[in-house]
Amino acid sequence: MMHAVVLVLGVAFGYVLSRGGATDYDYIQRMFLFESPQLYFIIGGAVAVVMPGLVLLRKLGKTITGQPLVIKPKPRHLGNVFGGVLFGVGWSVTGMCPGPVLVNIGEGKLYAWPALLGALAGAYLLGVLYPHLVGPLRLPPLKVGPGNG
Amino acid sequence: MLIATATSPWNGFLTGAVLGVITLVLLWVANRRLGISTGLEDVCALVSRRPYFQREEVSGSGRWRLVFFVGLVLGGVLSKATSPGGYDTYWTLGMFDQVIGWGVAAKCAWMVGGGLLIGFGTRLAGGCTSGHGIFGNANLEIASLVSTLSFMVAGIVTTNVIYRLVAGGGS
Repeated sequence: MMHAVVLVLGVAFGYVLSRGGATDYDYIQRMFLFESPQLYFIIGGAVAVVMPGLVLLRKLGKTITGQPLVIKPKPRHLGNVFGGVLFGVGWSVTGMCPGPVLVNIGEGKLYAWPALLGALAGAYLLGVLYPHLVGPLRLPPLKVGPGNG
Repeated sequence: MLIATATSPWNGFLTGAVLGVITLVLLWVANRRLGISTGLEDVCALVSRRPYFQREEVSGSGRWRLVFFVGLVLGGVLSKATSPGGYDTYWTLGMFDQVIGWGVAAKCAWMVGGGLLIGFGTRLAGGCTSGHGIFGNANLEIASLVSTLSFMVAGIVTTNVIYRLVAGGGS
């Protein structure tokens, strides 16, 4: 049931990203060239809705089914800067961030497939190198979950 | 005009607001914090037993991100199929074709390289435009503000180097 809800939300998110221009190579470049404010408006509009929404949901403290709400903040470390910079270069090069890579595949843009391949390889590479980066970049130590005992 | 849909884009602020509502529904109904790049690790976890991909943030999440991934692809299909011209597959890449003009093989190599930076960079930063840019910033998290500043500045510098310095000149 929850998977069905997530699927519908994913379809809606992808469709809206596509219709707003967030999956369009030219709009991404024109954002970075300061030639079009479209993408800044999109990110700003999303933050402007989510910010008060989170205040309300926190006050409520529960999901629709009465579960306690879980909002785990992301850890601070030097990877925020180094990873952010690498991602920014990749975003500019491909004209895609991770969500739009998938939406672009759906839109029939064949060049999004090699971008997805690269992104998966890059995530895998980070998994391989993570133990070596924990110290220098002060990343959080690994806590292995239930999947591995 | 959008390449993908051959239509004018929706109003930017409205688009963002709808994305924001979807983000809130995801939290309120499914109790999930929006984060797309972590899903790359869910995919890796399908084929790798490395401890990094079996850690609790990934393995304990019920793989909902894989379902969300499928939804994103279908959302793209829906958008393209309902646009003028209907569904189609293509290699054309807007400004890239006009200014840089590489063929398919070189374009693929370019995309694999950029993809590597996306995958490695987002996972090192702990998030992307969704988990940091939308959710984390709205939640006033320092890690997200720092990451967002980093990827925005890097994107601005890279695109300006590519289109204004290397390829552009006066174009």
